[in-house]
Amino acid sequence: MLILDSVHTYYGHIHALKGISLTVNQGEIVTLIGSNGAGKTTTLNTISGVLPARAGAIYLQENARSGGPPAHPGRANDSDIRLDQLPAHQVARLGVSQSPEGRKIFARLSVQENLAMGAFARADADGISQDLERVFQLFPRLQERLSQPGGTLSGGEQQMLAIGRALMSRPRILLLDEPSMGLAPILVQQIFQIIREINAQGMTILLVEQNAQAALHIANRGYVLETGNIVLSGDAQDLLADPQVAEAYLGI
Amino acid sequence: MAPSRLTAQAAGVNGKTALRFLLRAFGAAILVLVIWRVTTVGLAEGYPASFWISQALNGLVLGGVYALVALGYTLVYGILFMINFAHGEVMMIGGIAGFFALQFSQSRGWLEGPWPVVVVALLLIMLFGMAASVLIGITLERLAYRPLRQAPRLVPLISAIGASLFLQYSVLLIFGVSPHSYRKPALISGGMRMGDVFIPYTGAIIFITSILLMLALYFIIQRTKLGRAMRAVAEDRATASLMGVDVNAVIVITFMLGSALAGAAGVMLGFHNTVVKFNSGFVPGLKAFTAAVLGGIGNIPGAMFGALILGLIEAIGPSALGIPTEYKDVIAFTLLVLILIFRPTGLFGEVLSEKKA
Repeated sequence: MLILDSVHTYYGHIHALKGISLTVNQGEIVTLIGSNGAGKTTTLNTISGVLPARAGAIYLQENARSGGPPAHPGRANDSDIRLDQLPAHQVARLGVSQSPEGRKIFARLSVQENLAMGAFARADADGISQDLERVFQLFPRLQERLSQPGGTLSGGEQQMLAIGRALMSRPRILLLDEPSMGLAPILVQQIFQIIREINAQGMTILLVEQNAQAALHIANRGYVLETGNIVLSGDAQDLLADPQVAEAYLGI
Repeated sequence: MAPSRLTAQAAGVNGKTALRFLLRAFGAAILVLVIWRVTTVGLAEGYPASFWISQALNGLVLGGVYALVALGYTLVYGILFMINFAHGEVMMIGGIAGFFALQFSQSRGWLEGPWPVVVVALLLIMLFGMAASVLIGITLERLAYRPLRQAPRLVPLISAIGASLFLQYSVLLIFGVSPHSYRKPALISGGMRMGDVFIPYTGAIIFITSILLMLALYFIIQRTKLGRAMRAVAEDRATASLMGVDVNAVIVITFMLGSALAGAAGVMLGFHNTVVKFNSGFVPGLKAFTAAVLGGIGNIPGAMFGALILGLIEAIGPSALGIPTEYKDVIAFTLLVLILIFRPTGLFGEVLSEKKA
């Protein structure tokens, strides 16, 4: 569904992504793990169009739109949409939704308005209220806080709001950036449970995490990022068992 | 090296404290002077209450016009963190355009017609002024500010001052130095008398129109999808774009809204002052900027109340202080200095977030 083909991204003169290639297939949870500054957030922001890719290509597979399985999984085709040519708001409108690092809740907008911002590009009132119901089922806490300014929520509630807001666009693929950041262990568990639930409902997810252990436990596949390069990739179970990964990222 | 740098830093801190102390002492001196003048001169004159009331009403009229202009400053600042110093000129061009629309209406005899015709003609005149201002506002954004979006914050400010001068002297070149005079239609000349207080119709119309436009803006910002997107962009541009918001489009719309209000203000100020010329936007622009700072720049209700307060102070000030009316501009700018000394965030101001500071 989503294919990155040797993507290079720069911050000024700093070469942040040095040719990242990865694939996310329909219905998968794929996780991107790595230490601070490895380029995980940069990867997501390049996909979302917040940062420009200076070389390489990012494809969203065309028939992933209809929800059916892609005709040629994992391989880019001429009919695929090139995301790397598009500004962020157009990428979002094509169904690539990001819950950004640090949650980035609109602090002065109410919870309700934050969720409405997630559905900004949509005009189908019925569908929006359906999705709102779905978000409330996943996060009942948000319903209790509807008229409260986003900035007054606790960290965990803000994370729920960030994920809920990203779901409100009814995306084809959900990019989650460090959903566990700064949360108490019990909340981390809860959030990961919900991510799994969202995936079970059919959502394709690219999950960026520093908490490699938790991420690999719910993911199908994983990529390990180190200073702008992918150094390792494979099935999540294999990565969990890999001694190299265990030493560097699992703290065992 | 380290110790000497430390002492230099300490000296810098001491210098800053000393400067702040001096400024505050200066501010306090002005305040004492004002209070002394008001008690010994203003109150001692013994003007009747009706005098103060009509001055205050006059102030509210002017304040309403300032508010419309101040909203333009505050809207743009809220989203781009820049002061659009050419905004006064955007207003002036609305006034000039309104003048030509007025002249056209007069030549067609619309303004001597039955009252519905006159009302529609006046509305069209205002809409024409607003349209001209919108055109100038979005052109400014596109040519003078957008190319500098990534530049340090001082750069667009300089560009804005350049644009302000460019617009003033372009109008001077095209329309000449002599003022264009607004002639009021008979329908809105004159006024009504309530007790000892005389209320001119133009003043009442200007005030009511300003309030209606402000309410309309407030509704757009607080209650519509567009307004929500504007508030989201003001808080966090990148995250808003992740929601599918076209940030550039929102910025253009912000300029359009601010310029439309300024255009309406320009036309109304034309009727109020009876003349408009190339530099009639400059001082009102600075006043409106003062009002926006008084209310807390970036804060929408702040701009509205700041402007009404400024209008009141300006109208009552000269008599209260016992100074000639020609010096009323001094009052506004002294107020600006006092706010910047004692409350830089304005009356309704919030603590500036790290990003804005």
